[in-house]
Amino acid sequence: MLRQFAILLAREVESLFLSPLNYAVITIALVFNGWSFYYALQGAQGNVEGAVRFFFGQSPLVWLVIVLVPPLLTMRLFAEERRSGTLEMLLTAPVSEVEVVLAKFGAGLAFYFAVWLPSLLYIAIVKSYGAIPDAGPLATSYLGIFLVGALFTAAGLFASSLTSTQILAALLGTVFNLMLLVIPLASQWLQVERIERLFSELWILRHFVDSFSKGVLDSAHLGFYVVLTAVLLFWTVRSLESQRWR
Amino acid sequence: MISVRNLTKRFGDVLAVHDVTFDVADGEVMGFLGPNGAGKSTTIRILTGYIPATSGTVEIAGRDAFTHSLEIRQHLGYLPENVPLYPEMRVEEYLRFRARLKGVTAKETRGHVERAMDQCGLAHMRRRIVGQLSKGYRQRVGLADALVARPRLLILDEPTGGLDPHQRKEVLELIKGLAHEHTVLLSSHVLAEIESISTRVMIIQRGRLLASGKVDELAERLQEAPRVRLEAKGRRDALLAALAPVARECAGSPEVFELRDGWLQVTLQPPSGRDLREPLAERLRAAAIPLRELSRQAFTLEELFLRITAQAAQRTGDTPSSAGPNVPGASAPVPLPATAADTKAAAP
Repeated sequence: MLRQFAILLAREVESLFLSPLNYAVITIALVFNGWSFYYALQGAQGNVEGAVRFFFGQSPLVWLVIVLVPPLLTMRLFAEERRSGTLEMLLTAPVSEVEVVLAKFGAGLAFYFAVWLPSLLYIAIVKSYGAIPDAGPLATSYLGIFLVGALFTAAGLFASSLTSTQILAALLGTVFNLMLLVIPLASQWLQVERIERLFSELWILRHFVDSFSKGVLDSAHLGFYVVLTAVLLFWTVRSLESQRWR
Repeated sequence: MISVRNLTKRFGDVLAVHDVTFDVADGEVMGFLGPNGAGKSTTIRILTGYIPATSGTVEIAGRDAFTHSLEIRQHLGYLPENVPLYPEMRVEEYLRFRARLKGVTAKETRGHVERAMDQCGLAHMRRRIVGQLSKGYRQRVGLADALVARPRLLILDEPTGGLDPHQRKEVLELIKGLAHEHTVLLSSHVLAEIESISTRVMIIQRGRLLASGKVDELAERLQEAPRVRLEAKGRRDALLAALAPVARECAGSPEVFELRDGWLQVTLQPPSGRDLREPLAERLRAAAIPLRELSRQAFTLEELFLRITAQAAQRTGDTPSSAGPNVPGASAPVPLPATAADTKAAAP
């Protein structure tokens, strides 16, 4: 089980890192992140912690990276295999759907994290100017970035398992991610308290700004991300299995 | 090795496979013959556990193909019809990945991959990127993939599809060589291919198994001899009069077709087990009619199907023209008629 997973993961990671499109995605993400950081520093006027908090959680450009990068990375993972027929090769090898899904998820997440690795340089730059950002909020911010990334990667993977068109998969994933961000805002217009409360629980952005970027680790928020990610991965496995029945 | 009972597969309203029953013994090379869209690939996908059957059972090595799929897949080498491969990988790298995925240990992988590449003539292409290979080499990589874990059972869906005649011959030779080590089920829509390498043949059309049997047994049990075709020069009535004593033995009247420059082409259907070429040549020589060709005509697959469906229909009192998917008798396998290879005997 584990051996097969490791073999699949290695291939998926290699394949992601060999795809020219993914380097375009990384490049754009780095430009957006760098820009955000530049403005965060300029706007903070010496308040390094404020700048870091703005960067992780408030900068619209950074959220654009968080929302767009996972669907773009995951869009081809199943859609392309279905279109080219290699899914048949994969699923007639002695591997289970769970292994296949987890390997692709792991690879997608690894690549997503690679997108964020250069941001560690920003911390180094801040430090080199003598300002020392608090380690706690930094650590939870990265954890938050990782958890949102996992959730959106799982969503993108699920979208990719539904179609054989990459662009459609990317679109579905992005729409799903945007809805998780925007629906709670829209629900406020309804002025129904219960609905409002329900949806504010689903508001990823708020969780982020409320807790992760402030260095607070709320187990409820942690659970929310983990459970939602697991549900999406489970659906992806089911979606793969259901191919066989169609 | 394979035991299929009353296999049926529906896709919505479409009946893709209907009540198919067959066995493949250990060490056999089973040819699976049928036109495109007959249900070959669907049957094969059920065998490999990729899709489930609507009803009926499939057992491979004594285990149910769908519930014990993972176990079975470890002993299965499968080449899908369109040979899907990861285009960005190199040949050797791809085969190593597939070998490892199929449970070959790290230690054994090198040996297994080398052997598969040797068998498929890929050793000199090992560093090539799969996506840049020609169709023939892609097919070989697919075959090497099927072989690499040294499975007991090989299932090859149209292994010669899309190849030129030269490549086709190579791939067939290759499969023939594999028959010693593996049980093989291969599908094709070309009769001659299947015939040359299979020990047994099944014919499927519109989801129904029409005929099955050993190739040599079937050849012995010929119900109808191959047709005889000749090309002679002369007047139609004179020619027919000369042939008449022999033609009387044949089923139906001779078909005559006019060629250029006064040549006539005559096709006769001799009775079962009789080779009429010699008496025909004799008659023409006696009548001093010039003869330029005299040959036995093998059935094309289409003709074979028409015959089998017609026979099946006649048994149930139906007309051959309605021998469609709803003819009840059509599902009963009937012996295969003549499939003799073209044996041309050109006269001077």
